[in-house]
Amino acid sequence: MFELKPMLSALWRNKVSAMLIALQIALTLAIVSNAVTIIQERQEKIARPTGIDVENLIAVTFMPVPADYDMAGAVAADLDLMRSMPGVVDASVTNQAPISGSGSASGYFFEPNQEVGDITANYYQTDPHFINTLGLKLTAGRNFREDEMDILGPHQNYNADVAIITQQFADQAFPGESALGKYLYGGRDDHPTQIIGIVERHIGAWPGWSLAGNVVFYPVMAEGNHKRYLVRTEPGQRDEIFKQLEDKLAERDPQRVIHLETTENHMKETYSSDNLMIKVLTLVVSLLTFIVALGIVGLTIFWINQRAKQIGIRRALGASRRNISRYFLLENSIIAITGLVLGGTAAMLINGLIASNFSQPLLSLPMLITCALVLLLVSLLAALVPALRAANISPAMATRSV
Amino acid sequence: MIGYYISLALRSLRGTPILSALMIAAIAVGVGASMTVLTVNYMTSKNPLVDKDDQLYAVQLDGWDPNEAYNRGAKGNQMPWQLTYRDATALLRSDIPKRQVAMHKFGFTVSVDDAEVRPFVAVTRVTTRDFFALFDAPFQYGGTWEKSADESPKQVVVLSQATNEKLFGDKNSVGEVIQLNGEAFTVIGVLKEWNPSPKVYDLNNGHFQDSEELYIPFGLHRKFEIHSWGNNNGWNSDIAKGLTGYEAHLHSESVWIQYWVELENGAQKREYEEFLANHIRQQKEQGRFQRPLKFALSRPSEWLVMNEVLDHDSRVLAWCALAFLLVCVVNAIALLLAKFLRKAPEAGVRRALGASRQSIFVQHLMESSCIGVLGGIAGIGLALLGLTGVRVLAGGGFDRVAHMDWAMVFAAIGLAIVASLLAGLYPAWRISQTNPSIYLKTQ
Repeated sequence: MFELKPMLSALWRNKVSAMLIALQIALTLAIVSNAVTIIQERQEKIARPTGIDVENLIAVTFMPVPADYDMAGAVAADLDLMRSMPGVVDASVTNQAPISGSGSASGYFFEPNQEVGDITANYYQTDPHFINTLGLKLTAGRNFREDEMDILGPHQNYNADVAIITQQFADQAFPGESALGKYLYGGRDDHPTQIIGIVERHIGAWPGWSLAGNVVFYPVMAEGNHKRYLVRTEPGQRDEIFKQLEDKLAERDPQRVIHLETTENHMKETYSSDNLMIKVLTLVVSLLTFIVALGIVGLTIFWINQRAKQIGIRRALGASRRNISRYFLLENSIIAITGLVLGGTAAMLINGLIASNFSQPLLSLPMLITCALVLLLVSLLAALVPALRAANISPAMATRSV
Repeated sequence: MIGYYISLALRSLRGTPILSALMIAAIAVGVGASMTVLTVNYMTSKNPLVDKDDQLYAVQLDGWDPNEAYNRGAKGNQMPWQLTYRDATALLRSDIPKRQVAMHKFGFTVSVDDAEVRPFVAVTRVTTRDFFALFDAPFQYGGTWEKSADESPKQVVVLSQATNEKLFGDKNSVGEVIQLNGEAFTVIGVLKEWNPSPKVYDLNNGHFQDSEELYIPFGLHRKFEIHSWGNNNGWNSDIAKGLTGYEAHLHSESVWIQYWVELENGAQKREYEEFLANHIRQQKEQGRFQRPLKFALSRPSEWLVMNEVLDHDSRVLAWCALAFLLVCVVNAIALLLAKFLRKAPEAGVRRALGASRQSIFVQHLMESSCIGVLGGIAGIGLALLGLTGVRVLAGGGFDRVAHMDWAMVFAAIGLAIVASLLAGLYPAWRISQTNPSIYLKTQ
C-alpha cells in the first residue's frame, strides 16, 4: 500500500546520494547522543546542592604588611566590625573559602594509633558562628561553644577536642550507626576528637573532588601570615556590602592588603571548564543538526527537480497530491531510519571508547532512542517543505518536452 | 586552461547561489569548529622548553607512605610530585648536574616608600639561583644572586618585568629597596617579559597561570618561616624527635618542594641516577623511604603529559570537532554530487565536442577547490570568532591558549582545501564518467 517496491527501486538508482544522507544522519546521531550525555552529566554536576547560601556569601582574604602583627587581635576586631554592619547576617573566620578550589584536607581514622583504613575529608578551621554564616543546617547534636574556641600560634600543632562533620562523612565513617559522640583520630595518633554535631550537607572547597561532601569543622583560629573571613549578607544586600566591606576594613586597619570575592564568583570559576564544555557541545549539537537538515533539504529539492516529469506522469495517472508528498516523506524516512540504526551502533561503540579512555559518562539506551527520535523528526521536517512543493507539480508537466 | 576552469567554476557557483552558499557554509563551519578546538589543543600541548627537552628533568623520589602508593588526583606515576625539604636540601649538595633548582610558590605583601603605590600581594617563587638559567628566563637588568644566598639568608629579590613596571615605571631598579612583609629586600635583577605557557615548571595550581611576580633565594626559609603557597601533601604526622614549630615542618615527611635538574648528556644522567639511588639507600638505613626503591627523572615533554595538561575534555572535543568536519565533508559531497549531476548535460556536450574524461574531471575538481578556498577563508574567520568565544567563555583561564599562530592559519587553509578536494573527488569522477550519447539523444 505504501508503494514500497517502486520506492526502493528508485532509491537504488540514487543509491550514492541516499547513502551519503544516511551516513550524515548516522554520524550526527553518534556525535549528538554522546554530546548530550556529557552535557547532561555536567549540568547535574553543577546543579548539586552545596548546602550553603551561595548567593549571599562574600569571602575576604587579607595579608598584613608589617612583619610583627597581632593577628588574633585584628581578627576579633574585624569580626566585631563586620557583624555590627547593617545588612550583614553573620561573619566567621576560616582557613578556606567554600567552593574556591583552594583548601585543606586530612585523612581520618576511627580508632587510635592506626596506619591504614583512613577516609579523607576537607576541613575548616572556623568559629561557632560558622553554621549561621554559611547557612548550614544542624541536623544532630550541638554547635561549638565560645569557650571551645582555640587560638594557635604559628607552627603550633593542633589537637582538636571537638568537631562537627557533614552527614555524608558521618555515613562513610560510621555506616549504619549514629556518628554523634564518636571519635576521630589522626594517623599513628591517640588524641580523640569527639563529634559533637552533624550538619545536613556541605560540598566543601573542591566540588570536583571525588570525595566532595566529606567535610569536618573545627573551632580554632591558627595565626598565619594571612587570614580569611566569610560574610553572609541579607538577601539582595550582597553587592552593597561588598562595596562597603573593603573600605570599612581598610579604615579600621590600613596596614594590610585586602581581597574580596563572592562565593557566587568562586562557583563560576570552579565550574568554568564544565560550563565551557556544556556551551561548546551545545553549539556542536545545534550546528550539526542544522547542517544535516540543510543537507536533507538540498538533496530532496534536487531529487524532486530531477523527477519532476515522473511526478507529473503519476499525477496525470491519478495520484493525489497527498500520495506525492507521502512518497517523498516515506522515502526520506527509509533513509533516515537506515542512518539512525547505523548511527545507534556507532554511538554505542564511540561511547565505549570515550568512557573508558577519557572518563566520560555512559550513554543510556533511553537517551540514545530519544536522540534518534528527535533526529527522525528533524529529517521529516526538513523533507516536508520540498515534499509539499513536489505535490504542487502540475500533471501538465508530463505532457511537456518528452 | 586552469584559469579558464576557475572562471567556469566561479560562473557555475554564481549560477546556483543558494546551493553554493550552502556548500561553502558547510565547509566553513566544519573548518571553523575543528580549527577552534585544534588550535586550543595545539597551544595547550605546546612544550615551552622544547629546546632543552633532552637536558631538563623533573625529579621525583618515592618516600611516600609504606602502606599505600601516592595517588592524589588519580594521574601521574604513583609517586609524589614534589620532594620534602630534607631531600631537596640533600640533593642540592650534589655537583653532578650542570644546574639544579629547588623551589616552590609563595606570596608576600609588597610596599615601597613611594606613597603612590598601594601595598599589594605578589605571588613569589622561592628558588635556588639557577632557576633563570635553567628555564631560560631572560634578564633585562642585573642578574641572579650568588650561591651562598641559597644556603644562608640574604634579602635580595628579582622582579618580573610587570612588577618592575608597577613599582619603578620600567626603569633600571637594580639597587632599589622594597618592603616584603615589612622587611627590606634589595632588587638585584629584573626579568624581561617571560611567561612560559603551559607553565611547565609548576603545573600544580593551574596549567596556564602567569609566572611569578617576585623571585627570592632559597636560603630564606628559616628566617621568614616560609610555608608553600602551592600544594603541600603529607602522610605521616609523626614529628621528628625533639623538634617543634617551623623546624618540625622542615624535617617532616610533607612534600612541597619542586625539583628540576639540567643534565648535559647520557653519562651525566646515569651518574645522577646512581646518585639518587644512593641517596634513597642511605635514607632507608635511617628508617625513611620504606617503599621499594623508586625515583623518576621526567623530561618537560613527559612532565606535561603526566600532568594531563591536555585534559580528557580537550581530547573529546578534538575528536568531536573532527567528526563534525567529517559530517560537513559528507554533506558537501552530497550537495556537489547533486549539483554536478544536474549539469551532466553540459558535461555530455563537452565530451561530445572532444573533451577528455580527464579534463572534465579537472574542471569539476577546480570548482570544488574554489568552494574549498572560499570555505577555508570563511572558516578561518569563524575559527577566530570561535577562539574569541572560548576566551570569553573560559573567563580568562584560556587567554594565552586561545590564539591562532601562523602555523595554525596555514593548517586551517590546508584543512579546508583537503576537505573540499575530498568532497569534490567522487562527484568530479562521477561526472567525468558521463556517457555523452545519452544527453545528445534527448536534446
